[in-house]
Amino acid sequence: MRDKTGNISCVLADFYTLRKDVESTTERVQDIRDSAGLEQLEEDFLNLEKKSADTSLWDDRAKAQETLLALTDIKDKIKLLAEFKSQIEDAETIVKLTEEMESIDNGLLEEATGIIRNLSKALDQFELTQLLSGPYDKEGAVISITAGAGGTDAQDWADMLRRMYVRWGEKQCFKTRVVEKSMGEEAGIKSATIEIEGRYAYGYLSGEKGTHRIVRQSPFNSKGLRQTSFSGVEVMPLLPEESVGVEIPEEDLDISFSRAGGSGGQNVNKVETAVRIVHIPTGVAVRCTEERSQLANKIKALSRLKAKLLVIAEEQRASEIKQIRGDAVKAEWGQQIRNYVFHPYKLVKDVRTGIETSDIASVMDGEIEPFIKAFLKYKYSKNLKSSYVLL
Amino acid sequence: MAFPYNSFSRTIRSIMSPRNLSQPSSIHLNQPQTPLFLKSPIHQTPLSSLTQFQTWAKTLIQSKGSNFPTIDNGPDTNHLFRELKWFLEDAGFNRDDDEDIVRLRVGLDELYLLWKQRIVERRPFQYVVGCEHWRDLVLSVEEGVLIPRPETEVIVDIVEELIKKEEEEEDENEVMMKEGLWVDLGTGSGALAIAIARALGKGGRVIATDLSPVAASVAGYNVGRYGLQDKIEIRIGSWFKPLEDVKREVVGLVSNPPYIPSDQILGLQAEVGKHEPRLALDGGENGMVDLLHLCEGAASVMKSGGFFAFETNGEMQSKFLLDFTMNKSKGCFRDVKIVSDHSGIQRFVTGFFV
Repeated sequence: MRDKTGNISCVLADFYTLRKDVESTTERVQDIRDSAGLEQLEEDFLNLEKKSADTSLWDDRAKAQETLLALTDIKDKIKLLAEFKSQIEDAETIVKLTEEMESIDNGLLEEATGIIRNLSKALDQFELTQLLSGPYDKEGAVISITAGAGGTDAQDWADMLRRMYVRWGEKQCFKTRVVEKSMGEEAGIKSATIEIEGRYAYGYLSGEKGTHRIVRQSPFNSKGLRQTSFSGVEVMPLLPEESVGVEIPEEDLDISFSRAGGSGGQNVNKVETAVRIVHIPTGVAVRCTEERSQLANKIKALSRLKAKLLVIAEEQRASEIKQIRGDAVKAEWGQQIRNYVFHPYKLVKDVRTGIETSDIASVMDGEIEPFIKAFLKYKYSKNLKSSYVLL
Repeated sequence: MAFPYNSFSRTIRSIMSPRNLSQPSSIHLNQPQTPLFLKSPIHQTPLSSLTQFQTWAKTLIQSKGSNFPTIDNGPDTNHLFRELKWFLEDAGFNRDDDEDIVRLRVGLDELYLLWKQRIVERRPFQYVVGCEHWRDLVLSVEEGVLIPRPETEVIVDIVEELIKKEEEEEDENEVMMKEGLWVDLGTGSGALAIAIARALGKGGRVIATDLSPVAASVAGYNVGRYGLQDKIEIRIGSWFKPLEDVKREVVGLVSNPPYIPSDQILGLQAEVGKHEPRLALDGGENGMVDLLHLCEGAASVMKSGGFFAFETNGEMQSKFLLDFTMNKSKGCFRDVKIVSDHSGIQRFVTGFFV
């Protein structure tokens, strides 16, 4: 193969790069089409089309509207997925053609490169909108980390997680602040709250909710025994005050304040003004300690409680907080989601997706992107099966 | 930050109205201090020096502060770490900046000095930064003025509820509470007076009294900061003495008077016992001298149907006051009850004047 100018090696390199790009993009298109559940989509499409043709459709206007919207949505999606396929096939054809030809056609090569570039962008966009389409996904996030039982080891583990999320936030160039931190007696932290402001921070981090487990040789034990510790991570959207337009009846709230200790009042001067609010019907609880007055802590705690209830309502597909099934709200930390093994071997493994890496140092330094992405895809394909069937 | 200095001087003039001329000259001596967070950020400080300071301050907390809880029920290290964070925030250090030079509101030397005072001398954090966050207010405080406590926030909740209830009853003649004259006896920083004034309607007024000229000037400063100089009048004098001209006019009387028994002052945590004004804490032999005086004197200033709320040292004192108002001053009060603070301590006695 040679091009018209005879500059063989350079053009060849370009071609090989292109071929590699085309191969990987083909894979990506295939992945996206698979995880989008194309067969399911087409089946849903036929069902919806049947429904929309039904003469009784407009008996219920709201329902009709919903059905038509879903139909358009699904049609667009199928079309987009088909476009991805035809575009990558165009690029593949160019690669095959070039391989069979004696010389390289620069124009064709450029065309293929252009296709791949635009397709990649479209795929990124598609993935983002598909994976992060929850009502609060665009918002910032509040992460609360709580050390599990087990004293210093667990508290040190909580502090390592705090650092991991702060590093992640900083790497995304999100405004990341540790707004509250309660130190452990010897080392580490009992709890911490991190606020991360940035587009889609909540969408990315929502899957981090759960119990994180560490296995290592304890640095706090002279015998260096192998030790397992746990920390709980909670994630809530960081909702602007005015957007939380939910009223919770006063009698549903159990509000408690930190005690100054002793006789209180004039006898004591402590800056502790923590407020804890329990939503009685669901048992959902929040605590706020970072503000400097009791009232300010109460206001912030209340807005966090609302955010938390909204998220739970969304998870349960309840249209309002009243409909949340209290018995279904899982224990504060939820299930164990990830294992971090430092000893006897190095491995971080997500329990839900099965994604794993042995580069534990990078993970602790905030490289949790693969875990986040894998979980989003996992959640997406899991939800897909039920989403359109409901209608 | 908008800052109504001019309104402040007006408030001071109102303090010196003819009927309050008992100690007018001392007011000039008591120019209130500017809280740290309102000073100008003119001290350019390298970030590295600040990091150094933080390390030093944390070490000081750990070496000296860890036994405060056992010595005198003082703050634990977690409290102190939180204070350090707020101290640096007030001093102008914003962690979101990644500039190499930080513009602080005090010089580095003073930063060290202030933190040393906090830990070594146990100077209250609120005096160090010159302010206390209380409800939705930031109040200037300094030596000589009691630092408002979170417990006292409840009195404002009670008053707000009272006003709300009155409004809901929708009797046009019955907006007495919202539009009437309130009195905060022993106002200190002005906390109760300011919070209540903000809850009142257009016609509502507050007189805030204090025996201490320092407290009066600080209260005046805080009143000015919230633009309430037309609503709140500050008067210097002991309890009911400055109220000669408003007899039987007061619809609401609140007070957080000194209530700690004299013999317990020495045992208080150092921040309180060694630094806060004894005048604002010491309630005499059993702690009830001033509270009883308030109950006895209330009759002379209260309007019929007026409301009162007093803070006490809790439990025994509240019960005693309840008995006292129901038996000794029989017929003067009605619906007297004890209200607990957020820790469940029976902290307040409230009721109505017949």
